[in-house]
Amino acid sequence: MPESLSARNIVKRYGGVVALSDGNLDVHTGEVVALIGANGSGKSTMSKVINGVVVLDGGQLLLDNNPVHWSSPQAAKNLGIATVFQELSLIPQMTVAENIWLTREPMTAIGTVNRKVLHEKTEELLSLFRGTYKVDLHPDDPIVSLPSDEKQIIEILKAISFDPWLIILDEATASLDSRQVQRLFELVEDWKEAGKAIIFVSHRMEEIFRIADRYSVLRNGKTVGAGDMKDVSEKELVKLMIEKESVFEYIRKDSKNGENEEKPVCLEVKELQTVTLKGINFSVREGELVGIGGLRGQGQRELLHSLFGDVPYSGTVKLFGNGYKFKHPREAMQIGLALVPGDRGREGLLSIRSILDNLQLPSWPRYGFPLRIKKAKRDAEQVGESLNLKMAGLEEPVSSLSGGNAQKVVLGKWLVRKPKLFLLDDPTKGVDVGTKAEIYSLLTQLCDEGKTILFYSSDDEELIGLCDRVLVLHDGIIRTELSGPSLTKENLISASLGVSNGFHPESRTGGTL
Amino acid sequence: MKNRITWDFLMTRYPVFFPLVLLVLSVAINLYLQPNMFQLSTLNSNMRVFLPLILLTVGQAIVLIAGGIDISVGGIVSVVNTILATRVGLEGSSELMWQYVLISLLVGALAGAINGFFIAYLRLQPIITTYATSFLYAGFALFILPNPGGGIPSAIASVYRTSTPLSLPLAFYVIAILLLVWAYVSSTRYGKYLFAVGGKAEAAYETAVPVTLVQFSAYVISGFMAALAGIAITMLSGSGNADIGNPMTLNSITAVVIGGNAFSGGIGGVAGPILGAITLSVIQNIISFSHINTWWETLVKATIIVAALAAPGVINLFRRRRA
Amino acid sequence: MKRFSVSPPVAALILAIVLFLLSGFLPNSYGSNVDIAIAQATNIVRLAVFLGVIAAGQTLVIISGSEGIDLSAGSVVTLTAILTYVYVSGENDRVLIALLISLGVGAVIGMLNGIGVTFLKVSPFVMTLGMSGVVTGAIIVVNHGTVSGRIAPIMTRLIARPVSPSIPIPGAVVIWLIFGVLMWLLLERTAFGKNLFAIGVNRVTAKLSGVNVTWTNLATYSLAGALAGFGGFLLVGNTGVVHIQLGQPFLFPSIAAVAVGGTLLSGGKGSYWGTMAGAIVLTLITSLLTTMQMPDSVRRMVLGGTLLILISIYGRQRSLRL
Repeated sequence: MPESLSARNIVKRYGGVVALSDGNLDVHTGEVVALIGANGSGKSTMSKVINGVVVLDGGQLLLDNNPVHWSSPQAAKNLGIATVFQELSLIPQMTVAENIWLTREPMTAIGTVNRKVLHEKTEELLSLFRGTYKVDLHPDDPIVSLPSDEKQIIEILKAISFDPWLIILDEATASLDSRQVQRLFELVEDWKEAGKAIIFVSHRMEEIFRIADRYSVLRNGKTVGAGDMKDVSEKELVKLMIEKESVFEYIRKDSKNGENEEKPVCLEVKELQTVTLKGINFSVREGELVGIGGLRGQGQRELLHSLFGDVPYSGTVKLFGNGYKFKHPREAMQIGLALVPGDRGREGLLSIRSILDNLQLPSWPRYGFPLRIKKAKRDAEQVGESLNLKMAGLEEPVSSLSGGNAQKVVLGKWLVRKPKLFLLDDPTKGVDVGTKAEIYSLLTQLCDEGKTILFYSSDDEELIGLCDRVLVLHDGIIRTELSGPSLTKENLISASLGVSNGFHPESRTGGTL
Repeated sequence: MKNRITWDFLMTRYPVFFPLVLLVLSVAINLYLQPNMFQLSTLNSNMRVFLPLILLTVGQAIVLIAGGIDISVGGIVSVVNTILATRVGLEGSSELMWQYVLISLLVGALAGAINGFFIAYLRLQPIITTYATSFLYAGFALFILPNPGGGIPSAIASVYRTSTPLSLPLAFYVIAILLLVWAYVSSTRYGKYLFAVGGKAEAAYETAVPVTLVQFSAYVISGFMAALAGIAITMLSGSGNADIGNPMTLNSITAVVIGGNAFSGGIGGVAGPILGAITLSVIQNIISFSHINTWWETLVKATIIVAALAAPGVINLFRRRRA
Repeated sequence: MKRFSVSPPVAALILAIVLFLLSGFLPNSYGSNVDIAIAQATNIVRLAVFLGVIAAGQTLVIISGSEGIDLSAGSVVTLTAILTYVYVSGENDRVLIALLISLGVGAVIGMLNGIGVTFLKVSPFVMTLGMSGVVTGAIIVVNHGTVSGRIAPIMTRLIARPVSPSIPIPGAVVIWLIFGVLMWLLLERTAFGKNLFAIGVNRVTAKLSGVNVTWTNLATYSLAGALAGFGGFLLVGNTGVVHIQLGQPFLFPSIAAVAVGGTLLSGGKGSYWGTMAGAIVLTLITSLLTTMQMPDSVRRMVLGGTLLILISIYGRQRSLRL
């Protein structure tokens, strides 16, 4: 069994985007290291480097001070490194026992799976969490019939079943309730004593202070601090996570809070509920740029998609003074809404079609029959110019564009229609710095023209720099609304983490009802 | 979640329930129209007709479990039929017959391996690939035997047609063997792999299941089962016809769907599909006994098939409405 | 990354011309006689019309993506051909109504396919294959073994004969060219066409950009059915007789023609010009095999092999890109 693993000066790029520029981490047997960082600081990438899911662009991994190189995730697994991911690696139609032991089933003499031993071994693992299941969990239950927290537990058990010496818990507590978290932490203590090493990736300060021995803080892909938990306060950790000398240049200085108060309300949401959202209430005035903050996956996407008629919801939505309940995005478009989805490739673009076809997709019905292609091209060109879109021509496939230019196309297809309310889901994700600045000035310009923008970003500085107000989502409700002087990075991060403004840990653990 | 007996739970744990109900219903109707249905001779003459489709359905079921589909099985049946009918001949010896039975099985497995190669290793769409190879195989069958004819010795054919060991139709023994073999295979590690690959190939790959090899093997099995079906149907008819397998492809898919295996893969077994194949055959029996005008027979049969294929969709639509 | 590239329709057309020139070397072909060569070329294009029109609907459903395909096209062709034959019974003034019946019956069958595919989530392949059986059943009912009927003189005049004694181009070819322009208009110059390509590439993007995916998909299958119906109408105008297997031989080549024409079998990209060129290539291959006195079996194998090679090329292209 190895005794330590170190990552030194790790560099990892995705296309043109640098996810890690100087990542460092040390972990030894018998300790829990918390890997901490704001949204997009490179935590997930760091764990994927350690378990071999991604290939390094630079830096080194040391196993017991000897350099190692993972040829595949399997290689890391064989050397006793197991990961519990949030994205589940379970096969829904198969049972709990089959999933945990897939490829390592106990066999009988005649070559069949030994169900008895399989059951016993599974029961043994299941008993680790016994008492926290909503209904008693059985080895023969199919995964598809389990609620998400129990799926996450099975994922944890699957990782343990390899008997690893290093366990990476990547946001593994996100979907667990407080009893389950409590049990997991008891187990983590046991593992520590048994000489295992644990890397704990989490957003929840309270949990980090409960379980971790040491910490390592990532900021913008760089490790900016590490040390013993007992030597650090929550406030100091949050400070480490925050950029000191901000590279964020764009500050919307002429905040028009006063002006906007006289403008009519253009969006009013009451008790909006979906699977994730548990009753959202807010209103937005014309010309406002309102941010939505919070950790990833707190229901921001669902909020924007339900306003756009893509996701069913209950509750009332009033737009421009009238109540609506859209059944299809087209209805929302006709009222003057636009949605820039968060996953550009999967939701925003037609990869193999031309730039023209992408820009005009929502607008073709406006060009009559037969389509006035020349006018469509002129309009598309105009939008392209106004966005400073760099392309070889409108007929080129959109897949030939860089990330930033492709994002301009996703924005541009709505600009052609001149909508009144923009719903933006993390529009600067995976976009280069230059394009980011262009998008910022576009957004402020749109607001100056009287358009309204509702804007989710995983980049906290963007929210602070651009928005008039920020609504912070946590556990499916608006936890806090920040504006004016209260709109600071400290407050935003604290609110996202479920910490109250005074930097005291919340007594309540997120995830419970 | 207070009650765990959900639809999904029922369908994953007891996939045979629904096809069994359908089979009992259709047998009851058949019994009404054909009161001597359970007499040994009638039973045997029915079962020997059903058996080729049952064999074919088992192969199709395994491919579907592994997340694929095989449109070429009918073509493989035809190839085997024409090989036996031309190479063994009406006057052939039983040694010759055995020899070509073995060759047929190899040919079937080879045809399946061709499918598997294109689908698993070149990563082509299963439907369109096996559709293309179905033309290859059907064309090859026609090449071997351009006009219906040839055959196998009637003595050998009658072994298949009239054997009723212990007063039970031969087909019952074959079905029993199929179920036993499946019970074994599905409880081996390989069996788990089939379900894992069909259920969620990416997750299986992450867990180090040899996905490509498993997909490939499923088509080889399907080709092998199609060859068995071809041998059975040749023994049944005693003669050769290059178009004999054609209508069997869609029937095998329908039987699997009736049998409760999802199109999306990773679910079910072969017991349900076997029941499905019998149900489908019994329904055809019912149609021929119910004195429907002959002109209408094809239409009625085809409509029932489409209805059976659409049934899971209708149920889903209904469930979503309620939810 | 500039690469020399020829658009698929042009490539298919070049392939057709090369194949035709090579065929001149065959023993009982046109040899060096230019007049016969032109006559043969004209004849091949005339025969390609029917495959081309039947493949039009196929082009649409394949572009719509999600493994879209229409295996009921062959039987729809047979059904509408028989309906036209029976209804017209040699009367010129019944031709227009027969055309409308053909389109309508085809559209209804296509719509049933579309309902199965969009609402009941049946795989298009299986749904349309099953529907093909139902339509064949319906043909048997309509046909009752034999039918009495006759096509009208005006159909023969417009479809099978040359436009005029001085212009030796068959009427069918002129109809096909007009049809081609209409198909181009539909695909490239209507919002429906643009939406069709969009759902073929990415249904999530399409929906979030306001495309009614369900309706577009349903309309595509209905339209494909109607176009197959039109194919049946044209075909009987050329053959003048009907039989129960009239349309089936066109089914597999119709899919291959779409693939030869460069339409992605995974959807979202393609053109009807390509399908037209593909139809000519396939008709040419078939007629070459006939000239070489190859039996039906070899023809089938060549067609199957052609499609297999095509999907190996096009299918792999896509998996590399993703």
